Amino acid sequence: MLDSQHTGSAGTAGTIHGAGQEAHTHPTNTGVDNRKFAMWTLIASECFLFGTLIGNYLIHKNRGISGPKPHEVYQIDITTLSTFDLLMSSVAMVFALYYCNARRLRLFQFWTGVVALGGLIFLGFQYIEFSHFVLKEDLGLTRNIFASSFYLLTGCHGAHVTVGVIWMLSILITSLIKGDKWFNSTMVEVAGLYWHFVDVVWIIIFTVVYLFVYV
Amino acid sequence: MRRKTGITLGAVAWLASAAAWAKKFDEMPYKIDGGFDVPMSTIAGLTEWTRDINYVYLITTVIVAVIFLAVALPLIYTLYKFRAKEGDDTPPKQLHGNVILEFLWTVIPAVLLIFIAVPTWKIIFKHDGLPARADAIKVHVVGHQWWWEFQYPDLGITTAYELHLPENTPVDLSITSADVYHAFWIPKFGGKTSAIQGNINRLSLTSPLARLPEVAGGDYYQGQCVELCGTSHALMRHVGVVHTKEGFERWVKAHNQPPKVETASQREGEQVFARCIACHAIEGTPSASIPGDKIGPNLSSFGSRSHLAGGTRKNTEENLAIWLRNPQGLKPGVLMPNLALTEPEIAALTAYLRQSTYKTY
Amino acid sequence: MSASAHSQSYSKTGLWSWITTVDHKRIGILYACSALAFMVIAGIDALLMRSQLALPDNGLISAETYNGLVTMHGTSMIFLFIMPLSAGFFNFFTPLMIGAPDVAFPRLNALSFWIFLFGGLLLNFSYLIGQMPAVGWFAYANLTLRQYSPTVSVDFWVWGIQILGLASLIAAINFFTTILNMRAPGMTLLKMPIFIWATLVTQVLLILALPVITVACVMLSFDRAFGTGFFDPGAGGYVLMWEHLFWVFGHPEVYILILPGMGIVSEILATFSRKPLFGYSVMVYSTCAIGFLGFAVWAHHMFTVGMGPWANALFSAATMLIAIPTGVKIFNWMSTLWGGKIRFTTAALYAISFIAMFTFGGLSGIMHSSPPIDTQHHDTYFVVAHFHYVLYGGAVMALFGGIYYWFPKVTGRLMNETLGKIQFWLYMVGFNLTFFPMHFLGVQGMPRRIYTYAPDRGWNLWNLICTMGAYLTAIGAFLFAVNVFWSLFKGKIAGNDPWDARTLEWSLPSPPLEHNFDVIPTVTHLDEWWHRKYNEDGTRKVLAPAPHFDPQTIHLPNPSYWPIVLAFGILLIGTGFFLPSFGHVISIGTSVTGALVVLGSAFGWSYEKA
Repeated sequence: MLDSQHTGSAGTAGTIHGAGQEAHTHPTNTGVDNRKFAMWTLIASECFLFGTLIGNYLIHKNRGISGPKPHEVYQIDITTLSTFDLLMSSVAMVFALYYCNARRLRLFQFWTGVVALGGLIFLGFQYIEFSHFVLKEDLGLTRNIFASSFYLLTGCHGAHVTVGVIWMLSILITSLIKGDKWFNSTMVEVAGLYWHFVDVVWIIIFTVVYLFVYV
Repeated sequence: MRRKTGITLGAVAWLASAAAWAKKFDEMPYKIDGGFDVPMSTIAGLTEWTRDINYVYLITTVIVAVIFLAVALPLIYTLYKFRAKEGDDTPPKQLHGNVILEFLWTVIPAVLLIFIAVPTWKIIFKHDGLPARADAIKVHVVGHQWWWEFQYPDLGITTAYELHLPENTPVDLSITSADVYHAFWIPKFGGKTSAIQGNINRLSLTSPLARLPEVAGGDYYQGQCVELCGTSHALMRHVGVVHTKEGFERWVKAHNQPPKVETASQREGEQVFARCIACHAIEGTPSASIPGDKIGPNLSSFGSRSHLAGGTRKNTEENLAIWLRNPQGLKPGVLMPNLALTEPEIAALTAYLRQSTYKTY
Repeated sequence: MSASAHSQSYSKTGLWSWITTVDHKRIGILYACSALAFMVIAGIDALLMRSQLALPDNGLISAETYNGLVTMHGTSMIFLFIMPLSAGFFNFFTPLMIGAPDVAFPRLNALSFWIFLFGGLLLNFSYLIGQMPAVGWFAYANLTLRQYSPTVSVDFWVWGIQILGLASLIAAINFFTTILNMRAPGMTLLKMPIFIWATLVTQVLLILALPVITVACVMLSFDRAFGTGFFDPGAGGYVLMWEHLFWVFGHPEVYILILPGMGIVSEILATFSRKPLFGYSVMVYSTCAIGFLGFAVWAHHMFTVGMGPWANALFSAATMLIAIPTGVKIFNWMSTLWGGKIRFTTAALYAISFIAMFTFGGLSGIMHSSPPIDTQHHDTYFVVAHFHYVLYGGAVMALFGGIYYWFPKVTGRLMNETLGKIQFWLYMVGFNLTFFPMHFLGVQGMPRRIYTYAPDRGWNLWNLICTMGAYLTAIGAFLFAVNVFWSLFKGKIAGNDPWDARTLEWSLPSPPLEHNFDVIPTVTHLDEWWHRKYNEDGTRKVLAPAPHFDPQTIHLPNPSYWPIVLAFGILLIGTGFFLPSFGHVISIGTSVTGALVVLGSAFGWSYEKA
């Protein structure tokens, strides 16, 4: 969903490509493609977003007036599984980009599908976790301030995963429609950057939210 | 030419309207006062704290005034000296910078700042975060929409609007809020302190000396809530009242005396007041023994207060009647409902409430 | 590149061409015009407030309305006037000044404008239904909670800010990428015009500060919509949490407002003294230093909340540090004038007045940086005076200077200088008459945001004078509007370079062609355009002939209606949160519809030929 106009540095006007076309790399001042550059910039901003949310969680996690406390509800085994799943989807992302660069259409499509599937499985785990909290532990969004800050943080991360899954699926569908004509490595790389970032954020959340209760 | 006429006409019209305003102003029943010796002046304080603030204030003001002149005068001179001359079209010498100069005006301001920073820190650590003194009078200050409550836990007194203090005595204020964010401020006592629900901010200061003879019932120092706290934020006023030590003791003694019920109207007033006790209490009457927090101000010794309705009106019979007829009219958004009292009921209630054995004003 | 891309024709005039435009220059104009329209509304707010305060115990405006005016005036002036007007300048001039054919992402650029416009309209919709947010522009908790502000008024503020923040974030990413990636060959970072540096640092501040207010607004809207307790002490939340989060964003925001103004002033002063900016590299470093320190001083807005002596002392010291790079800038501007041949055009007058007014406001800022003094000044008119000197006397005066300076480049016609100078002096006198006495009011202890005051406080005289100044300013604003419309049709034809200026945009025709540069320039100097015109000794060069230009090499991005559709979807998502009183089906349905519109237009966008 990023559009881009690249400028040649030697006075040649830029070539344009929509998402449906193969990317030509044109020199920019930094040597980094505009779309990749913008994604890095967005990631910088997102770091502050998640930093604020994590700080907010840490401040509030033990201030619930009533209702369950963090260590009473977390199911570390399930969360470990979902973390592993998300990590593996990042590995799949690496393969997807590799096969995109290598122009191996079927493998590229396969691994892109695996990434999306990994994201979907993670969201499924999150659904199981949330519904367990709400139905079994009576820990809804407004039960106490710990729950509110927990759902705000993990929900925001889940929303990011959802966006990533939609992005991966649309790459997959585009690739299925356009076939060999579409090896937009830059686009896949940008999507990969996003995916890896969302993954890294989860590792931090997993550590700070789920593991720190055992410290 | 036409343009100049236009400008002149415009200027004349503006001045004329200004003069008309000024005339209206002159007809007002109070004195115009633009000076600094005004009720809430921030530089005419009377406590040690305000004196210390003024000390930093003076240093800083002098330094920044000097800096401003050091910018403004050379700027004016530059503008005059280097104005473009008619017909001279060659560009001036293209000067790109001067390392020494740039170094100088990095370092000199830094040095000047030290002269502000050091006294600042000295005064911060002198007044902030002090432990409470054992001999201090403790007062709990609670902000409400839109009035201040003052509780004296050691004296068993709860009052509103007026913070009574004996002269030259250490005071330990614990400031908080019962609802939204407020800020407590009596400029002549010192700086302001936020009143926040869930937080207690402590403020230690020593009350000033009483200046007026005791007959007048103490010195009044105006204060006001200074954090936007809803509709009638502007009407959330309070006063500090400083007594001589004997005067303060008499105020304490008189405060919790219940109102007399002797005349017929006072008796009737007592009965009308029964409709108020869900929200208001008066010490020494049955209303005080109803458990739970009252959402309205404690009305003990109400007659001794100088003002009512958050300090917006003088505490007179007429004003109390106006208030009781329609509280919203004096203080928009106020929680007190209009009880639809009849005129005789208002008169009776006024007679009941406005008595006090100790007039402070 | 597909061969058909640039042969595709589309209408160059008409409403549709503006709605679907992705041309950074048109988007810049759209930004500036909307900003000026919002300024009129926010200015009327100010006049109403000043009218109410002209006399003590005045009954012109009710308490609730006044609190609403306070909030809307502050919010609009910051988010709907200064920021978008700066964004207008970024949009129009960034590519021109760095020698680029367009911004990095033309359609994203259009998207950020439409999101901004819809956010601004949403916020202003509160006037129409009489539900102005009445909580102040920093909307301190816990007054904003549903139990104290039960109507939808605060929701307008929260969602307005949320949507405007999104627009700013998208624009910031776009300009950050554009400046760092799309400079003309030879334009190294230290050959960029200083305005571009100011723009760059502003974008960094936006990118890093906006997420914080986003989270704060999400928390607040959760508290209001779902009943979580982030700011409710009764539920274990902290009231002060909002204040910290707000100012972690809010103080960088102050520099987001002033840095573009500083950049504009630097360009104007250099042009009209006909000298290069004095100490260019130090100016660059000080801009960066101000941006960096801007993140370390938020708590100087909170000296009275009881943070304890150590926090107060440290934040006070950090705040004082900011005075150093700022002071360097002021002296460098003066040295730019020194030795020059100063032409007192209207633009130059605005830039010079910026130095004086901004210095004044900065110095009263130093006074507040000392907590003991600040406990007396905090939330009084002294603070109101201070920030109007830096934001009005500073940022706004600079932006007006920028309008007079660049108007000929944008429209091809010069603004009327006589009217301009009258307006300038009306502004100068009116501004100082309004805000200088506010220092006195502050020292006299008049709290800000009070809708009325007692006649015996001694505040009557200065309040009346402030009000008279405000009316004078309003006349100035009216003259400005007259000047703009007169100059659009009757102004003198400007030519490419009416001011004998220094930066690349002046090498282009006025107004510039849609593709900006026929051939992307190769840059060898700071102030490239000046060096193409003059030798080092000040004699004129013969301008090099225009290089051969092949129109076939020009590709213009196609117009697109997806940005406005997507922006509308975002508006719908926000609007859903206003409608719970109409039932959950309508409320959630609206938000979900908005999300689907966003998703659909994102796909339409991706598969469209750019």
